[in-house]
Amino acid sequence: METTANTAKTLEQYKVPASRMEFDKFIVPSVTICIGGLLLFFMIFPLLTILQLSFFEGGKVGFSTFTLVNFYKYFTTAYTVNALWHSLYISIMTTIIVTIVTFFFAYALTRTTIRFKGAYRNIIMMPLIAPSIMQALALIYLFGRNGLITSHLFETDWNIYGSVGIIVSEVLYCLPHSFVILFTTLSAVDIRLDEAAESLGASPFKTFMKITLPSAKYGILSAAALTFNLTITDFGNPVVIGGNYNVLATEIYSQVTNLYRFDLGATIAIILLVPSLMAFMLNYYISRKTFSMISGAAQPFIPPSRTLKKICFSTYNIIICLSIIIVFATVIIGSFVKTWPYDWSLTLDHYTFPSIGGYSAIWTSVWISLMVGLIGSFLTLVASYVMETRRPFFKQTLYFLSVMPAAIPGLVMGLGFILAFNKPYYFFYGTPWIIIINIVVCNFTLGVLSSISNLRNIDSSIEEASMALGGDTIRTFFSIIFPLSRVAFFQNFIYFFMRSMTTISAVIFLVSASVHLAAIEIIMLDNDGWTASANAMCTIIILIVFAVLGVLHLINKKVAPEMQAVAASD
Amino acid sequence: MSKKLVLKDINKNFGSLIAVKDVNLTVDPGEFVCFLGPSGCGKTTLLRIITGFEKQSSGTLMYDNQDISDIIPQKRNFGIVFQSYALFPNMTVAENIAFGLKMRKAPKNLIEDRVEEMLNLMGLTEWKTHYPAQLSGGQQQRVALGRAIAIKPKVLLLDEPLSALDAKIRVRLRVVIKKLQKDLGITMIYVTHDQEEALSMADRVVIMENGDIKQVGTPWDIYRKPQSRFVAEFVGTSNFITGTHQNNTLKLGENQLKIDGINGSKNNKINVAIRPEKIELLTDEEITKDFEPSNLVKVEIEVVTFLGAVVQLTFNIDGTEINVDVIEKRYEELGLTRGDSVNLYFPPDSFHVFAANM
Repeated sequence: METTANTAKTLEQYKVPASRMEFDKFIVPSVTICIGGLLLFFMIFPLLTILQLSFFEGGKVGFSTFTLVNFYKYFTTAYTVNALWHSLYISIMTTIIVTIVTFFFAYALTRTTIRFKGAYRNIIMMPLIAPSIMQALALIYLFGRNGLITSHLFETDWNIYGSVGIIVSEVLYCLPHSFVILFTTLSAVDIRLDEAAESLGASPFKTFMKITLPSAKYGILSAAALTFNLTITDFGNPVVIGGNYNVLATEIYSQVTNLYRFDLGATIAIILLVPSLMAFMLNYYISRKTFSMISGAAQPFIPPSRTLKKICFSTYNIIICLSIIIVFATVIIGSFVKTWPYDWSLTLDHYTFPSIGGYSAIWTSVWISLMVGLIGSFLTLVASYVMETRRPFFKQTLYFLSVMPAAIPGLVMGLGFILAFNKPYYFFYGTPWIIIINIVVCNFTLGVLSSISNLRNIDSSIEEASMALGGDTIRTFFSIIFPLSRVAFFQNFIYFFMRSMTTISAVIFLVSASVHLAAIEIIMLDNDGWTASANAMCTIIILIVFAVLGVLHLINKKVAPEMQAVAASD
Repeated sequence: MSKKLVLKDINKNFGSLIAVKDVNLTVDPGEFVCFLGPSGCGKTTLLRIITGFEKQSSGTLMYDNQDISDIIPQKRNFGIVFQSYALFPNMTVAENIAFGLKMRKAPKNLIEDRVEEMLNLMGLTEWKTHYPAQLSGGQQQRVALGRAIAIKPKVLLLDEPLSALDAKIRVRLRVVIKKLQKDLGITMIYVTHDQEEALSMADRVVIMENGDIKQVGTPWDIYRKPQSRFVAEFVGTSNFITGTHQNNTLKLGENQLKIDGINGSKNNKINVAIRPEKIELLTDEEITKDFEPSNLVKVEIEVVTFLGAVVQLTFNIDGTEINVDVIEKRYEELGLTRGDSVNLYFPPDSFHVFAANM
């Protein structure tokens, strides 16, 4: 006991440094202001520039220069107005198809006892690792003018270019996004409700209509809103397979790139912003409701399904998985054969890229994506920590700014960037940094939302325990919160990396003579008639993303044991 | 001794909800105080005000004659033990214990010594390099205690530290905490909803209800002299008889029970409580002249509840339910069963008298 007294005596000399705690007072406000400022400057400012250019003559703000002439011109030109109807038609059709298809796919995985559920899940997620242009490339190889199926198998003149092609490729592209939401919804809704209904004498069909569907309605609406948004803002697929069928996204691009009409491009960007903003608001409103629907008592046990039901759902899932696999296989095989579909001899010729970018574009893409991954996942974690745990003064504003990017189409943001930062004093303009910033901002929302939900899983007493022991914000963050968020950090890194490798619309305006990106090269190659090389570039992107996913998975496994313990202690 | 913790007129409201109202309390150095009350009574809010995680809406919080209301938790130097342990899952047992000292920039060898000392004290030496998730709940809570004590806190605050544990471990850790408190002479404030915990450990118990302090006293005082119906009901169990008193008597069935300690004007409605173990069970032979005849009631046993060492007999006297605790041995000797008639004796000095509105 004497030693206790002695050490304790000495201990009293050591106090939590007062200067550190004084300094600590400024940390949270400064971080809040910094992140808020970055978002204002790199998101709101470019958007305002677009508004400025579309509503004011020559982009000069003033009473006399205010004009609606751009909108008048847009709505009186049949060709451009058509783009709006086209976009709406494509998006609505895609939304209906995707939502129905993924609902039953998710239903099969959550409500029946079919086998190979893991495989189905992995396959439907595959489109996430490829640029949203791969579907169009594959469809052209299969159903195009020289398509394997159209002109060689059936020898017909019909081809898939135009609206049908866009819808099919968008459907294939949107599957994983919609699936994730519906899968989560259906897993969360208590299956015992179905059982109760059936035990009370309701037929399976009636149970489905009266119980299953209504209980999943918010998830269905949310998935539909997301699909609508993804489709109406997508650029890659329509530009390749659309032919003369113009949509808003391609129209913005052609106004700006081919006709140098920045003002009209900005105007169409505003028109595109309206429906996508509405879809986003709907989704935002719904997802708040969905959380309250999720019951903690959801029961994972699924009663064995009848054989016929299993056969039907298995067949259904296999067909959908096969279509995804066929898309991937077509692009990959297409990149290795001499002349699809005439000469099937294997060759690596298409991997000597004839465009300016070539392999250097791939390396640029990889290092940009690594930077995006690191910066994006770190910034979103810091922002979420500040908002969620420290609740600063401007929390609501910062939260609003953080979820806003999801409402803004990448193409619009990209256009805003060139309009806003095309000045000599913005030193980052024309460098890879503007691309990094753009991709981080465009994907900020999901990073923040997933970090927040992760932080909510950390017991708030842990934070308080650290404070009571004298831990300041920075030390608490780096020695406790960051290590505990490692898994979420990795997931966010993967997400940012994937988005950065595969995004087209956000960066199409930002590539320059000196900065080339792999995903954009696909469009360039395809445009110049090097379709097989476009496939090869696409294949390389898929391989890189796949490889990085694998490596991160291994790393995660290695550092995981201790983290598993974290999960166990909750 | 000046290092008192003084709570003066502390109020706390969350919007329109009043969580704590007009709390006045002085905690002496080295004292073990328990805040006891049902959930939602404001005891945890009060504790969080003392820790600094919540700020009181009004009132002063003093330690060592200084107002500490505006001092941030990091600088209060109070140790806290949480219900959920709140150990840092990414750190070993030793690292957890060392955390507070590291934040104080204590030299390495001092930290090492102190950690060893805490590990010894808590009986955790062999678990030093383990991670929290590899330990049992009881061990985790001991790490949390060691971590809080390591910084030599001025006051140790414990927020329902044992409620997540098994009954057996709970009883064992009670002893550990009590012994620790006495050996180290730490001032301790302990929040719990478990009366057994409060009565067995504390020097003083603070009973709270709806943000109010209802009674403060030693465990004996609280149990023997409850000052309100709430305390009589919440701590232990009581039988309640309500009615209008006449000449220091209260009607129960046919009887006019004599009750000591009634004061106040005649014909006032009152509420009296008597503990089930204070009511005596007598055979006809055992009744002597010493017993107040009007306090003897003959009644049938309605329900027999076997509780182990104690048997609880339930009676219905003209609509009033009366429970009587009898030790099992006596119950066996008397050879009673449901439906038997017995004599109940209500000693006049065993009643607690409250005004009807208390």
